[in-house]
Amino acid sequence: MIEFDLVVRRFGPTVAVNGLALTIPPGELFALLGPNGAGKTTTIRMLVGLLQPNAGQVRVCGVDCSRNPREASSHLGYVPDEQYLYEKLSGRELLEFTGEMHGLDKAATRERIARETQRFDLAGFLDNLTETYSHGMRQRLVFAIALLHDPQVLVVDEPMVGLDPRSARVVKDLLRAEARAGKTVLMSTHTLAVAEEIADRIGILNRGQLDFLGTLAELRQELSAPHQALEHLFLELTNGHASPDAKELFP
Amino acid sequence: MTTALASPPPGLPSPEAESRGFRRLEWRILRTRLAQGFALSRLRYALVIGLSVLLWFGLYYLVWDGFSFMKEKLELRLHEDLVQDIFNAFFFALFLMLIFSSGVILYGSLFRGGEVRCLLTMPIREERIFQHKFQHAVLLSSWGLILLGSPMLVAYGVVARAPWYYFAMVLPMLIAFVFIPAGIGAVLLLAVMYLFPRKRVHLLTLAIAVLLASAVWFFWSLLSRPDTDLFTPRWFLEMRQRLQLAQGSSLPNWWLSSGLLEAAGDTWSEGLMFLVLLIANALFFRELAGMFAARVYRTAYCEAAGLASPPARVQTGWFDRTLDRCLGFLSPPLRLIIVKDVRLFRRDPLQWSQFLVLLCLLLLYFTQVHPVTYVTHLSQWVNIVSFMNLSVVGLLMSTFTTRFVFPLVSLEGRRFWLLGLLPVKRESILWAKFLFSVGCLLAPCGLLILLSDWRLGVPAVLIVEHQWTSLLLCLGLSGIGVGLGARLPLITEQSPSRIAAGFGGTLNLVVSTLFIVLVLALSTAPFHIHVARQMALSYPLGDAVPVFQVAVRSWLIVGSLAGPAVSAVAALLPMWIGIRAFRRQEFH
Repeated sequence: MIEFDLVVRRFGPTVAVNGLALTIPPGELFALLGPNGAGKTTTIRMLVGLLQPNAGQVRVCGVDCSRNPREASSHLGYVPDEQYLYEKLSGRELLEFTGEMHGLDKAATRERIARETQRFDLAGFLDNLTETYSHGMRQRLVFAIALLHDPQVLVVDEPMVGLDPRSARVVKDLLRAEARAGKTVLMSTHTLAVAEEIADRIGILNRGQLDFLGTLAELRQELSAPHQALEHLFLELTNGHASPDAKELFP
Repeated sequence: MTTALASPPPGLPSPEAESRGFRRLEWRILRTRLAQGFALSRLRYALVIGLSVLLWFGLYYLVWDGFSFMKEKLELRLHEDLVQDIFNAFFFALFLMLIFSSGVILYGSLFRGGEVRCLLTMPIREERIFQHKFQHAVLLSSWGLILLGSPMLVAYGVVARAPWYYFAMVLPMLIAFVFIPAGIGAVLLLAVMYLFPRKRVHLLTLAIAVLLASAVWFFWSLLSRPDTDLFTPRWFLEMRQRLQLAQGSSLPNWWLSSGLLEAAGDTWSEGLMFLVLLIANALFFRELAGMFAARVYRTAYCEAAGLASPPARVQTGWFDRTLDRCLGFLSPPLRLIIVKDVRLFRRDPLQWSQFLVLLCLLLLYFTQVHPVTYVTHLSQWVNIVSFMNLSVVGLLMSTFTTRFVFPLVSLEGRRFWLLGLLPVKRESILWAKFLFSVGCLLAPCGLLILLSDWRLGVPAVLIVEHQWTSLLLCLGLSGIGVGLGARLPLITEQSPSRIAAGFGGTLNLVVSTLFIVLVLALSTAPFHIHVARQMALSYPLGDAVPVFQVAVRSWLIVGSLAGPAVSAVAALLPMWIGIRAFRRQEFH
């Protein structure tokens, strides 16, 4: 479970996240949407321990991410938008390091590496240095790293960028499967079609505040647009803040 | 709000297991780097190792000669005191520099970059992440100390006929010593980032200013003209007075120098005591920094990550407009590319600050050299020193072209979608970079040499010759830098320092050094010999004088023609090779 309890985060005079109150229960795939600069990345960074809130609490499985980041991160699997991989390690060595840091013994690590290798089809390149990987290979390896320790919560930032259609399908199926297995999945994305296709609930952040929280059907109902796609609804909800020139260019 | 307050989560590894995991990680990375390096960059590795060995033995010989001279000329007590003073001053300067350099390196590795961002999202103790980066910082900031310090200490041991345990203690003492300033630097950095994250830039600027002022004051006090002639007993006493600052017995540099001298003087127990003292303090500062990091690092990281960067608004200033007008004689594409390169260079202080520091130190040194220092006993030194100053400036310029000019073409790699689509011939891009480089080199090179010559009071003919040589050097070094940069680009790399550290950069440095040696040998050396003869200085020539005169005259004539020819070849041949390669270069 993920809980944001009236969370505020400021960057100097700018309020990036303003009183965010959000609970994502186990078994739910939640899509966090919003225009650039809305506060999505800040929200995720507070969740994974890279930022601390100025006010409020962020909890993962009941553990406060600021007070006890080590325990909180042991419940988390994180797929960042900008992946850092040790270029001079192979994928297998990186997975072994991750397993060791999560306290898995050698046998368990080996077993789980075999499981993730099969799930993400890593066998063809797992023993090559990561510096030789394509973007798709890197993304698959990062998913394997994030899921190696069977986390209760999976946080994914922009999972579809740079993926070919087949890999994108694999990722979408995986996220749904994780949610079905009772895990909490938080996905931040600009790819609205994906959110529309797989998310249980949607949150639309705008200027640090949740402008909408609910299912797609509820969003349609709120905007009285029963047959519109998410893209249209999203633009209608967020375009009020764009400049006149931007509206003309990107209506 | 720190992890230190929380109880350890169940199932996560112990500190020892974490440490083993990181050691394995480091070992695997090192093993891969070495294997790749020896498989793919043999020449580079051979050059680096070969040049390091050469430098080590060169330093060893110089220092050995100096210590032998001192031992021979000075009475025993004065000799011992002076050696301790030299060691104290050397290690004191390094102590201060290591505090600063480890702080700067740790700032880059602990608060910026992808690795810590990744590690902080994993269930790893903050202390472990800190120790991992701290060891890197120690290694990075101390290899220079080992390279420079070890030949000096070994040479002293040889001259002093030190027992075997002196040599065995040198490396452990140096390593233990390095951890002390590095630990202090780390604690200071963490304190600044935790307590004053918003003032970090101001405090860093202040620290740089204090360090520079201290360095200027220290060098000024050392180099300012003594009231007596060189190498007289009074001169030695005066130098000792100037080195008093570094002799406090509570300073680690004093423990290091005392420990080494005691070990060299056959009192192994005293040497061992100082070694243990250094190790104990090294461990203390390392632990202190680790404990401090455990409490404050994540909070400090989050604070630093949460600071808004001020918007960097820029506008075309008077400098750009003046430069644009001054370059009016060039074609518009050339002019625009040069102005663009100057702007990029100017707006990236990381690019030019180190060079500026070196330039300032040379400037300081050149303002302090004075012929009176030399004429009383060693009047021929004016001639020699002016030649050596010219050589030093040339070598400094070659490091400049390797660090800044060689990467210019590589850095265009990712931006080539812009330059490549402009209606500009590719060779124009290279010629613009060549002119940019010549312009950047010529002013500092010429002015530094002019200052040195003026302070030394060298004859007018030598001043003109030195300016001519500096022009030849700037042209050749620019051609080599731009041409090889285009022939051996690293178009996917965006870090100039990494581009310079690659094979191409190493080759550029070696070729540039050879070029400087050649031009100086052909063009400048015969002038100096000729002028020295005209100054009626003594030469042990005996009967060979007429033959020698003919040889010098021939050398002068041939060198006068060959110097410019070598410079032209050095400028044009790499440019031609570079242009051919650049025309064929594909940018992905």
